[in-house]
Amino acid sequence: MKREKLAKPLLAAAALALIIWGGLPLYRHRHFDMPVVEGQGVTRVVRLSEYGPGLRGTMADTSVFVLEGKESGGKAVLLGDTHANEPEGLLASLLFIENAVVEKGTLYVIPFFNNSGSRNTRPGDGYPLYFEIPTDWGLFQVRMGNRDASPLDQWPDPDVYVHYPDKQLLSFIDVRNVNRTWPGRPGGPLMERVTFGAMEIMRREGVDVAIDIHGAETMFPVTNCIVAPEKSVKIATLAALNVKAKEGFENHVEPSPVGFRGLSHREIGDHSGTLPFLLEAPIPFLDQPTGPKTPKLLLDGKDPFLLSLARRKKLFVAYDESGWPLPKRVGQHCSVILEIFRQFSKRNPEKAIVVRNVPRYADVVRNGVGHYLLNPAGADRKNVVMN
Amino acid sequence: MPWVMIAYYMISGFLLALLAWNFVREKKSLDNLVLYLLVMIPLVLRLLRVK
Repeated sequence: MKREKLAKPLLAAAALALIIWGGLPLYRHRHFDMPVVEGQGVTRVVRLSEYGPGLRGTMADTSVFVLEGKESGGKAVLLGDTHANEPEGLLASLLFIENAVVEKGTLYVIPFFNNSGSRNTRPGDGYPLYFEIPTDWGLFQVRMGNRDASPLDQWPDPDVYVHYPDKQLLSFIDVRNVNRTWPGRPGGPLMERVTFGAMEIMRREGVDVAIDIHGAETMFPVTNCIVAPEKSVKIATLAALNVKAKEGFENHVEPSPVGFRGLSHREIGDHSGTLPFLLEAPIPFLDQPTGPKTPKLLLDGKDPFLLSLARRKKLFVAYDESGWPLPKRVGQHCSVILEIFRQFSKRNPEKAIVVRNVPRYADVVRNGVGHYLLNPAGADRKNVVMN
Repeated sequence: MPWVMIAYYMISGFLLALLAWNFVREKKSLDNLVLYLLVMIPLVLRLLRVK
């Protein structure tokens, strides 16, 4: 009896300690805001809920950075963190926000497109909650997210996700994947409201080009490429040829499948006048047969198991001891985006999008991603957006 | 928050209360005490909106 009396509070205290020890890092991660410094080209910052009111007050609402040029021209949307476990999208969009100067046209940059997903994690895969990038002013801490929105924000999952409006049956988990919920609807599940908000930007503002920035496994065939539907394929092909000829890296073109619904590169083009592109850079961290999912693997992309598979020709990209480091992935994205703008502008001079001061592939590989990130501590506080 | 999510939180709270009540009433088995606590952990984390 005495033993039982003592055991109860001790066990309860142990359970409480376990809850705090395991839960507190997850709680902090979910509520950790990253600073984004408005670069010289940012003219205003709005919330996505201004275009999709169904997002107001939810964890899925997110910042939209608008960079308006001195001259009117074409308009483009850049999406980062569609999949928040592919941070090259987030970082490429941050490089545009913090560096780009728009001479002609307008950019709408949404760095945390799946804001809920960027506050989620995948403990079963041992994902780190954060990683750090060396910069000229210290370490920049980045919140590492997950592919899907948090079930705390959108739940329950259906047995099968019935895509709107095509009624195609998709995997249940894709109801929380913003690259399956395009074009969205105002009163649908939360992730459909996110894509609806982005579609409203494109429809209301008359956006010409939308670029969704991703990373993909080296063992996945759709990697290191530009995915484009029929209406965008000429610009995508010219962009791919030009970056290879001028900057020396491969980035082939993959056609957007007509029968696979819900993806940005399919639905944006089918439901608006915008030309969609989806960029993929190889990210070894996402491959299944790797060592531990550490921040180091995320940053340098070096893995002995993938190297062994590369020697057996099992990968869809060239892979050697140098891995696929983050600067290479982010640099590729920056160059391809700039090249898409250039090719679009050549074909549509009255709607040209002219952007300068964004580093290209060779610059980012040489200097690192962090070299182009601004110091939030050194910036005017009103120019720092916490997201 | 959709009604189904609210219903889920209410069910979680109800189950948590049942488990806590059983934990308090348990007089003999140390194993049962541990099991009640283990089952309670995910319910607490969900109710606190941690995981």
